[in-house]
Amino acid sequence: MLEVKNLVVAYGGIVAVRGVSLIVNPGELVAIIGANGSGKTSLLRCISGLITPRSGEVYINQTLANEIPSHKRVSMGLAHCPEARKIFAQQSVLDNLILGAFVRTKKEKMSKIHETVEEIFTIFPKLKERQLQQAGTLSGGEQQMLAIGRALMLKPQTLILDEPSMGLAPVIIDEMFNVIENIKKTKTTSILLVEQLAYRALKVADRAYVLEQGLVRLEGNAKELLINPEVKAAYLGVNAH
Amino acid sequence: MNQIFQIIVSGSIQGIIYALIAFGYNLTFSTSKTINFSLGNVMMLGGVIGFSLYVDIHSGNLLGHSYLFPIIGVLVAGMIAGTAIHKFAIEPSLKLKSEFTWVLATLAVGIIIKNAVEQIWSTGDFRFPSPLGDVPFRIFGTGIYPQEILLVVVATIIVFGVESFKKYTIYGKAIQAVSEDKETASLMGIPQHQVVRISFILSATIATIAGLLVAPLTFVSASMGSSLGIKAYAVSIIGGLESGKGLVVGGLILGISEFFTARYISSGYKELPGFIILILVILIKPNGLFGKTMIKKV
Repeated sequence: MLEVKNLVVAYGGIVAVRGVSLIVNPGELVAIIGANGSGKTSLLRCISGLITPRSGEVYINQTLANEIPSHKRVSMGLAHCPEARKIFAQQSVLDNLILGAFVRTKKEKMSKIHETVEEIFTIFPKLKERQLQQAGTLSGGEQQMLAIGRALMLKPQTLILDEPSMGLAPVIIDEMFNVIENIKKTKTTSILLVEQLAYRALKVADRAYVLEQGLVRLEGNAKELLINPEVKAAYLGVNAH
Repeated sequence: MNQIFQIIVSGSIQGIIYALIAFGYNLTFSTSKTINFSLGNVMMLGGVIGFSLYVDIHSGNLLGHSYLFPIIGVLVAGMIAGTAIHKFAIEPSLKLKSEFTWVLATLAVGIIIKNAVEQIWSTGDFRFPSPLGDVPFRIFGTGIYPQEILLVVVATIIVFGVESFKKYTIYGKAIQAVSEDKETASLMGIPQHQVVRISFILSATIATIAGLLVAPLTFVSASMGSSLGIKAYAVSIIGGLESGKGLVVGGLILGISEFFTARYISSGYKELPGFIILILVILIKPNGLFGKTMIKKV
């Protein structure tokens, strides 16, 4: 469960997010779509505590998280799979996955963590083949799988995915959205998905927000947004008339 | 022939001292991309504190209690020094916009430590009797002091211990994650500030232990760490700042070349080969002999 109220994010004089409010209910898949520079990534970075907002509030499971540093938000069940993957290139695939469960290692036995690793391997069999390989040597698609797998290692309540399709071949993008749909089906993880591929995102999402120049332009049921003429014209490449 | 062996042995031991301090540089550099330039003087602090807890400064006799006292003393001193340097020199510097404030800040800490020791303790040189005695072993005519063997053993344990900690434990992997990408590490729930602080504490403690080990081989004085700090920096550049193997090789190259120069040219030129090698390495292989080439796909 995640809630954001009137969030304003600014870099010096440049205001990237101008008062955004959104909510992700338990088990829900919420998409944020918007063009480059609409403030999507800034919003996500603020939610996971990588940057501090100028004003507004972030609630994780109804707890005000503004003063909580990013590494402690992870213990609250928030996993953030960052833009451009950001895997640990110099460590092995397996070590990357284990690091994803870093906060779990404090309370749980290593055998439990390895069970989760096996679960991830059934979702992404490619990773199993390459588990001892240095993560930097993986292909782009494999790296994205690793990044998602690493985030899932936390067994998160809320999963933030920042542009999982970026720079991937269409076949891999299909696979990626299949995985996202499967995570959604488990109903245990709520997902906040940011995507450039608006059509794909709206197809899988329950609800969606359309961000434009740091403001929520439209929000609502994803299927309705899919046929909204404004959305069609601006993001789906279909002429409204 | 014997003489050459002796030079190689003594040079190697000197080199391992350099490598140990360089290893301390490597630790903080890998987590925070900063180097604690006061480490040479922190090492001196270890020597001085170890001496004060073991030897009577006026008579030069042993105080009579166990060697455990100086050992615990330097461990505590190292932890305090590391914490303080991180809190008062590194953290404030990293908050500033200017990129290299930490260089001046840590150099300043080194000067402060040195002058404080001169003021409070003494400006003199003192002999630190080795707890293992001062009678060298003779192996094929080459003399090795028991203290030198102790130094090599402890240095090896420290380096291998820390390296395997980094490689095989989840906390070690977390340290490596911070050194690779701080922001993503914090998205994994790794407390990066704490990791950086621990790297400073660890490196300072290694330095004070080095001080205690070196003291019986040299003399204890407030100036024992100054040039050592600089040479260890040269070693880490020669070997490659982020390579454990490189630091040992760099240390050996510098230590042995110094002893050869001192014997066959003149002790006045002792420092020369090290810096010539340093310049050559920077010209030819700026990442150091064992510097990492990054494998990264974006």
